[in-house]
Amino acid sequence: MGRFILRRIALALVTLWLLSVIIFVACEVMPGDVARSILGPTAAPETVAALNEKLGTDRPVLVRYGDWMAGIAQGDLGESYAFRRAVDEMIGSALWNSAKLAFLAFLLVVPLGILGGVTAALYRGRSVDRLISVGGLSASAIPEFVWAVTLILVFGIWLDVLPVTAQAPPGSSVLTQVEYLILPALCLVLVLFGYLARMTRAGTAEALDSDYTRTAVLKGLPRRTVIRRHVLRNSLLPTIAVVATQTGYLLGGLVAIELIFNYPGIGRLLVRAADQKDFPLLQGAVLVIGIVYLVATLLADIAYAYLNPRIRYGRAVG
Amino acid sequence: MSTVDELAPIVVHDSARESRQERLRLVLRSKTFLVGAVIVAFWVFCALFGPAVVPDDPYADDILNKLQPPSSEHWFGTDRLGRDVFSRVIVGARDILVVAPLATLVGTLLGTVLGLVTGYFRGVVDDAIMRVVDAFLAIPVVVIGLLALTALGPSRVTVILVIGIVFTPIIARTVRAAVLSERELEYVEAARLRNEHTPYVLFGEILPNVLGPVLVEFTVRLGYAIFAIATLTFLGFGVQPPSPDWGLQISENWVILNGGYWWPTLFPALAIATLVVSINLITDGIARVYER
Amino acid sequence: MGEAKRRVDEFRRTSSEVENHLIDELSAGKINRREFVRRGTVLGLSLPALSFIASACGGDDDGSATDATDTTGGGPQAGGTLRTALISPSGALDPLTVGDEGGLAVLGQSGEYLAWSDDQLMLQPRIAESWEPNEDGSVWTFAIRQGVTFHDGTPLTAEDVLATIEYHLGNESNALSALTGALSAGNTKLVDEFTVEFTLDAPNGNFPYLLSSDNYNVIILPKTYQGDWESTFIGTGPWKLDTYTPEVGVTYLKNPDYWDASRVPLADKSEVKFYEEEQARVLALQAGEVDVLSNFSVAGGESLLEDPSVTLIEIQASQHRVIHMRTDMEPFTDKRVRQAMALTLDRQALVDGLFEGRADLGNDSPFAPVFPSTDPSVPQREKDVEQAKQLLQDAGKGGGFSIKLESWQGFEIPDLAVLVQNAAEEIGVKVDLQLTDDGAYYGNFTYGGSRWLDSPFGITDWGHRGVPNVFLGSTLKSEGTYNAPHFKNPEFDQLVADYVAAFDLDSQRALAKQIQELLLEETPAIIPYFYYHLAATKSVAGVEPTGMGHFDLSQAGFVT
Repeated sequence: MGRFILRRIALALVTLWLLSVIIFVACEVMPGDVARSILGPTAAPETVAALNEKLGTDRPVLVRYGDWMAGIAQGDLGESYAFRRAVDEMIGSALWNSAKLAFLAFLLVVPLGILGGVTAALYRGRSVDRLISVGGLSASAIPEFVWAVTLILVFGIWLDVLPVTAQAPPGSSVLTQVEYLILPALCLVLVLFGYLARMTRAGTAEALDSDYTRTAVLKGLPRRTVIRRHVLRNSLLPTIAVVATQTGYLLGGLVAIELIFNYPGIGRLLVRAADQKDFPLLQGAVLVIGIVYLVATLLADIAYAYLNPRIRYGRAVG
Repeated sequence: MSTVDELAPIVVHDSARESRQERLRLVLRSKTFLVGAVIVAFWVFCALFGPAVVPDDPYADDILNKLQPPSSEHWFGTDRLGRDVFSRVIVGARDILVVAPLATLVGTLLGTVLGLVTGYFRGVVDDAIMRVVDAFLAIPVVVIGLLALTALGPSRVTVILVIGIVFTPIIARTVRAAVLSERELEYVEAARLRNEHTPYVLFGEILPNVLGPVLVEFTVRLGYAIFAIATLTFLGFGVQPPSPDWGLQISENWVILNGGYWWPTLFPALAIATLVVSINLITDGIARVYER
Repeated sequence: MGEAKRRVDEFRRTSSEVENHLIDELSAGKINRREFVRRGTVLGLSLPALSFIASACGGDDDGSATDATDTTGGGPQAGGTLRTALISPSGALDPLTVGDEGGLAVLGQSGEYLAWSDDQLMLQPRIAESWEPNEDGSVWTFAIRQGVTFHDGTPLTAEDVLATIEYHLGNESNALSALTGALSAGNTKLVDEFTVEFTLDAPNGNFPYLLSSDNYNVIILPKTYQGDWESTFIGTGPWKLDTYTPEVGVTYLKNPDYWDASRVPLADKSEVKFYEEEQARVLALQAGEVDVLSNFSVAGGESLLEDPSVTLIEIQASQHRVIHMRTDMEPFTDKRVRQAMALTLDRQALVDGLFEGRADLGNDSPFAPVFPSTDPSVPQREKDVEQAKQLLQDAGKGGGFSIKLESWQGFEIPDLAVLVQNAAEEIGVKVDLQLTDDGAYYGNFTYGGSRWLDSPFGITDWGHRGVPNVFLGSTLKSEGTYNAPHFKNPEFDQLVADYVAAFDLDSQRALAKQIQELLLEETPAIIPYFYYHLAATKSVAGVEPTGMGHFDLSQAGFVT
């Protein structure tokens, strides 16, 4: 196991390096002028030129890449072009905010999804199954920003029971922060539930159909025990897979929700950095998200490898 | 020995083909499949014949009649520029039914090929390719989309390519995982012993057996494709006005939801939902048959 | 009335040529009272004096169509915390580099300018007490107010004003865009401890605007200022910094030592909260999370327009869209084609449909109705499809043509583009839309590297200015840096040069008339409307926004 982990870490580092190259090249390709994006349309050309020189944007590509890499080696991600604050500080707080939201969403959607998926599999083909499957699908088919505005309208304005922004005032208690985060978390739950329930249902169904389960039931083991001991473990696999792959989405892809709920998360930071050609911020954010994502997948792979050998029952060959 | 070997493949092929035909019959009889198929057929009809059938010109503005609620004259009401929402929803089927599936198809094809290759060959090939794939997977979709669209300019083709490329790593990973378990099975070994060419082994033998997960991936990704297009449009890229693309309609009109103008947003959203759900019903029907 | 006349005569005796001329215009009925007062403030005359003269010499109010004060009954009360929703600043809060709406509004809360350009385009003295031009407007002398202190207690003198101006001129500040061509480094002089003299590069009748809140970078800073404004928010304004949380907002406390005792804030505290999305700002006001929304658009805030619990503030402004047509590229080389395109638009419908009537009609020139120098007698162009078709025919394009319309997806631009597309269809012109993001459309702001400046047909957004000089100069002059239509007309260039140098309203208006007529004839661009600046409040009165995006909360308070 140890060698497996070490090997994975080494590969992950290679991936990270590739990631840094990709994002750096991508920034090069973007049209537009850095200083101009920061100063706005009315700034005089001399002002723009001066700022470009100050930021060093006219130096050759390799020099800038080398500089950036050297900085990273020393743990310094540089300074945002637009805001002139340390990149790691800006990313750190944004990442923490996104993590809080993601965590709350997971806390809600994972039990719901597993429950839904298992139930649907157990009552396969019946109306409960239909309801859960089709309901979950429909919910996830509606874009998250439509859900966001609908929920805000209903709970924030008409019923007036929840706040319409996700950012609690600084220094709020955990409970207050949760109150502010409930609506955006609900949007995420609505969007993710369908996929998670479907994957769990498929995994559970497969386990239920397997020879091993049939044998266990035939041997006289009560169904509940069989489910608890063998089927549930099989349901966890899709969950882990979903959690791992969705980490990237949850951290970077929630821009729409962050914008509507005015939440200073990492998705919003990314889009704004790309918009403003704030390259140090953009590159730093993509790298950090990359690291988080790779760590998440590594952990998921380890968990998967741990669970998998025990439950390889052999599929029914068609 | 040789005669038995010569006989064996024929027997194996026949039973495989037979069971496929059996499955097709079961699929066509499944209620889930039928409901989904009917809905999709309706939207395909709209995509093909929509412009000829709709009551109003979906592009004609009537700005002094903007934001009228649903009525007998305008079944789905009018939008911000006074255009008939019903006509726009019907005609909008064309855009989504062209862009989203093509994008998903591009991603599925590329991803399947990558997954087959890396899963089968393993070793250095696998490691190298998967590292690049992982790197792309780690970049948030939104960033790739924004960067590519900024560099390439907005057009349908660009959107299809971007989403296709974004999906490729995910699908590749799934297919690779499935191939990893398939390649250990006997029929693969058998084909190799027969000295079959590698492309045949990959596409003739393994591919049909991983088709199940590939199909599931395709339909799930299809939903995400529609999603991704809507999100990219929301952020200001992708499809151009005055296209009646459903995602664009939502992104143009959601800002006035809080004023009580629900109809320009709700109907395109429902359209997206019914399409995604019906596609999933189709695959559900197929998947259930494969399950047995 | 004899006494009044005597005092006016005495005033005239001590007044300059220009000031006398202004009074003559008022007496002759060539300008109305409001324009007299506005013009007078530009020349540095005090409001009380102007009001007195105006009432003594006659002259009517023009019953202006806009109302800058909201109409909730009962006066604003003292105390409490005002909460305002503001668009997030898009960069560092540094007076040198701020170039966005959020940043400029923050600068203007705790910082202060020599003069304040208000919602009526009048210049109200702030740090400068009064100002005066010489005979031809090439040298301006500003009297600096005494008794003003910075928030850290240091008293303000003319040295601080000098230091601030030179700081901007010497550091490639964003303020250069306004000052280039008007004032150069080293031409500002200390006359005494409280007087500053500016020697301009060329006579400029509107110079004080360039040092007012319209040129939002030039808040007056202490002469010891070295940088890092974000840590202190140093200034002389009615609000002083309490806390600043990046990405979240700023809280201010009222400044009890503010130099104008009558304008010390009513409220105790002001919270300015940052929201990146307009939708989030509108929702925040509706949900009661904020009391003031400093700026919103009709497109994003339809719901606010009908909401009885919301008080609207509408300010006539000069923000507009320019639909340029390249005069040096087919199919627009023939001016008849350009005129034809301009004749396809039903501008009133645009104003009603896109802005619910909250906009002025544009007549294809940068002279917005809100500018006093605009000549309102120039006939308004209206939709005329028949004439448009005829013009196309005469130009040899009776069969129509295809053209791509480029712009970006922001504000109401996509809607406008669709409406232009549909209108052009009526005369056989097929318009294809290409709307990207602002980065792709603006490119690097130079010819050859910007779709804005290179495309044959495009839509550009322009924000509010107190005077039309920028709109006339950089965008339409032959040598202009932002001349999207590539318009090269020597007669126009001369007229604009004369307009910029012109002093009195009379000459400005005469020149404006010629410019407006020339532009109607040549039509290098279609300018369909000038839309209002909209703000909204809930249970708060006394908010003073400006077309620029500033908002003055010192007189604001809660009403029951």
